[in-house]
This record gives sequence, C-alpha cells and structure tokens, in this order.
Amino acid sequence: MSISVNGQSCVPPGFRFHPTEEELLNYYLRKKVTSEKIDLDVIRDVDLNKLEPWDIQEKCRIGSTPQNDWYFFSHKDKKYPTGTRTNRATAAGFWKATGRDKVIYSSVKRIGMRKTLVFYKGRAPHGQKSDWIMHEYRLDDHSDLLSQSNTSSAMGDATNQEDGWVVCRVFKKKNHHKSMGSPNNSCSVTSDAKTQLLHHSGSGDDALDQILQYMGRSCKRESQGTSINDVNSNNANRHLRPIETVFACGLQEMFMKLPGLQSPTVPSLPDTFPLDHSCDNQTSYGSSAVLHAGASSGNGYCADPAVGDWAAFDRLLASQLNGPFEEPKPLPCCDDPCFTFHSSAGYHHGGGGGGGGGDGDLWSMTRTTSSQSDRISHVSM
Amino acid sequence: MGEGSSLPPGFQFFPSDEELVLHFLHRKAALIPCHPDIIPTIDIHHCDPWDLAGKALQGGNRHWYFFTHTTQSRATATGYWHAVGTDHETIASSCVDVGVKKTLRYYLGEAPEGVKTNWLMHEYHLLDDGVLHSTGDGGTRKKVSDSAQAMQEPRLVHSTTTITVQESNRWVVCRVYESTGGSQSSFHDDGGSELSCLDEVFLSLDDIDEISLPN
Repeated sequence: MSISVNGQSCVPPGFRFHPTEEELLNYYLRKKVTSEKIDLDVIRDVDLNKLEPWDIQEKCRIGSTPQNDWYFFSHKDKKYPTGTRTNRATAAGFWKATGRDKVIYSSVKRIGMRKTLVFYKGRAPHGQKSDWIMHEYRLDDHSDLLSQSNTSSAMGDATNQEDGWVVCRVFKKKNHHKSMGSPNNSCSVTSDAKTQLLHHSGSGDDALDQILQYMGRSCKRESQGTSINDVNSNNANRHLRPIETVFACGLQEMFMKLPGLQSPTVPSLPDTFPLDHSCDNQTSYGSSAVLHAGASSGNGYCADPAVGDWAAFDRLLASQLNGPFEEPKPLPCCDDPCFTFHSSAGYHHGGGGGGGGGDGDLWSMTRTTSSQSDRISHVSM
Repeated sequence: MGEGSSLPPGFQFFPSDEELVLHFLHRKAALIPCHPDIIPTIDIHHCDPWDLAGKALQGGNRHWYFFTHTTQSRATATGYWHAVGTDHETIASSCVDVGVKKTLRYYLGEAPEGVKTNWLMHEYHLLDDGVLHSTGDGGTRKKVSDSAQAMQEPRLVHSTTTITVQESNRWVVCRVYESTGGSQSSFHDDGGSELSCLDEVFLSLDDIDEISLPN
C-alpha cells in the first residue's frame, strides 16, 4: 500500500477516513495533545475563527475519495480573557452549541465529551441557522477520576476543558423531508428521527430525561420574566401537526385518556395517573403553561415561548406514540399529567389561533372525539 | 481490514460506485495491475455469502468486496443469487456511462422455490460498448464458455486462476452485505457522522428559542 505523507494522493482509492469516536479521541486527539507524531497527517490544524464551514471541505480533504464529513484539530480560544466561554465566531457567522454534551466511552471507561454545534450565518442573536453541524470532541484530563464519580458529570461544560485542543468533525445535516406545509418548518422531527427515537429510547441515553431537563431550562428562562406578545401564526399552525400525526395514525384512543380541563386553574390530578418522580418538577411547568394559555385566551391566541416549547414536546410525544407496537416497554411518563396537560394546551392554543387550511379535518376529528367523551370540550372553536 | 492495516486508524474501505467501476473493475478487465491489489478474486459458485469472511475484502459496514466472473447461473452450494427487479442502475463518471450496477438477492434452495434471505449483492459490470475495453470481441464467445463451464463443474476449480484475455471484459466486481431492517443500508449511516435523533430534537428546540426570544 503506497502512502505519501502530506500528498494529495496519500490515501489509496476506495478508502475513506471514517474514524469512530473512540479512535478520534484515543488515537488522534491524544497524540495531538501529547505532541506525538501521527502516522499520516490526515487531520489538520485549523483556526476555527478563520474558516467558514463551506471552506472546510477544501481545506480538510483527505485523498481523492468523496467525503461526507471533514475533520480538523482546533485550539479553543477564549471569548473573554477572564471567562470560560469559547469564541467560535467566524467572519460570516458563528457556531452555536445545541443540546447537551455527550459522554464518550471506550468500552466502559469515560474518555471524553462530545459537543454538538450548529453554524449560524450572521451575528447572534439574529443568526440564520444553516445545515452545517460540528461535533467537537475533547478529552477528559482526569478521565480516571471522572469515571469513578460519574454522577452528574454528564451535564454541560466540563470544568477543566475550556481551553486546549479539540478534534472536530463537520458535516452537513441531511434534510430528509423538510416541507411539511410551511417552507420554513425546519423544526419538524423527521420520520427517521422518529424511528431512531423508538429504537434508542430503550438504550442508556435516557433521551426523555435529557429532553425533560432541557425543556426545564427553557421554561425557567421563560419564568424569569421574558414575555412575548409577538404573535407568530406560523408557530400556532405548527401546534396542530403533532396532533394530526397522531390522529392519522389511528391513535385516537390515546387522546380519550386526556384529563378534563374545565378551568384555567390547575386541575387536581386524577388518582389514576401515577406520579413518576422524574416528572415532578415538569408537572409544575406544565401547569404554568396551561395557566398562561388560559389567561391570554381572550386575545384569541397566545404565542409564548413556553407553549412553543410544549409544541416541540408534543411532536416528540407524537413521535413516541407513533409506534407503540414496536416499543413493548411503555414510556415511563406516557400517562403522566405533565404530558397530558400540555397536549391540552396545544389544543386550546391551536383553536384560538383559528387553524385554517388543512386543519379542518383535524377539528372535525376532535369534535367527534370530544362528543364521545366530552373531556376536551373546553377547546374554543 | 487486512491490507488496509498500514493506514492509520479510522480508514475503511468505502468505495463509491464510480471508484469500483473505474478504478478497480476497469483495471482488472484491462489487465492493468491494481496497486494496492486489495480486492481478491473469488468463484461465486463456491462461496455462500456467509463464507465470504477471510476470502473477500471486508470494507466498512461489514460489506464484502470481490471480483468474480459472470456466468449465466449464480448458484452456490446451498442457494442462488437472483436479480432484484429488472432495472439496472447506470454508473456514470463525468456524464459518461461507464458501468451498470445490478442488485441481486440470495435465496436458499433451488430456483425458483428458494427461500429469500437478507443477503444482497451489488454486481458492477463495465458497459459493453464502453471505450474502456482493451479486448473487443469477447462478448459472444464468452456466453459459450460460460455455459460450458457451468456444465462441467470440476473445471471451475481452476477457472479462476486460468482466466484468459478474451474473457477479461466479463469480470464483475461485487459488494455483498446482509441487509438489516427494511431499507438498504447506506454507506454513511454508521456511528457519529449523522445527527442522533436526540440532537434533532435539541435542534428543534433551538428553533423555538430563536422564535421566542425578544430582539
């Protein structure tokens, strides 16, 4: 096998650089950090602040094989001399972190963390989201220590790794089907994601728990006094979709179980709903969301961030409900009040917004449903 | 990965259709030496798909690659390969058609009563009228020799090592894999390089943040 180091034709035809996360961390980044020589100079050093994502492909090309992802080393640069935040702005935009960092294990040993970032064109907070995604991997300096006390270590930024070398993988997000009505409906959970969710929900990722925490954060932000009067009809329309999805899948009976919401006050919890501890704090958020929706219903609509978040939650729930037959283990919170409440809020909200167009079918469906049970008769039509 | 072991960690054999046809199959057919010569030659009649380990080149995603010789019959000891559909995908390079990709499925037993399996094969042919061929008139003669070979089983043992020049343009290169789930697995869907569903959800939530936050 002929390899010419640093040459363009260093990789034989047909071979692609597709390292596992463990290889990236344990082989490449470890060697980089300890200044060891790496056999083939496949991962280059890049100044992230001077490189736009669309220039990465040229800069980080490996051999002649077509690539779907690109790799580079980057040295983290502090945003402020005294702070811990990292500066990831370029001339054309900036990289913004999303979600929570993921712990990377080598067999059972924790070796590092992965941060997911999205590239936004423009300047915060007016950036326009792009399809460029970056996974930024960093090593745990004290991985041995951390693996012993791994409680709550998965949350957020690690304390010790705000500065230093990271290895990054950049790729373009695939858009499976973006057009689900409105052209800018970029927040639809794709069907692929749904199936993945179903497959992964049993794994150790504890996806629901993570999302709940993330939602909790968003809600807290809301309760700190940010209030929005700006009405976004597009936002309102989107609320209906998860419900549509669920109905389309013949899961009406799931909604028959919705608790009645007769007044905007916090309803007493039916005894039949078991209270999962993992959901306790979320219950209060859910209640406040309902309250808010009820209070502002006089305007005909309300588009506040909390409801927006619940809409996403709705979609998630819908995607979880879509395949109960594939998921033998029932979701831990499926019958919990926090879920059912926000579903109700979604109804209420959508009804006030006067869903037009294709929503008619949905509402005739809900009328049928409510006439049978009279449980969601609060829906304002 | 065998011969790929001199590459640093992280490299896998993930050839594109075009690479398979232009680099590997064309060279094989034109008797141009491949360097590195990594794809082995196998007699498809003597290899059930689960026997490919150790004989064929293992690429990424547990795909197996080998050269073989097309014959009319693609029967093995315990089953046979049968074409999926009738449409064959054309492989183009710089807007010129250079090859054809056929998909076949492995069935246990004897045709046409075989039992369907999850084993699939992509069989890449050079286009007959392509300019790539160094030997022009092998086509019709080949058919005769194929059926002759199929009749006389014992001679097949030697056939892979005594390929003559006029048969060279009947080489095919194959990718065999066991499909998991309904759809054919793509080359890129193994770990890490795509967003997890969780990431997708978080991205969705970010969208809502953008809408919600003032200024």
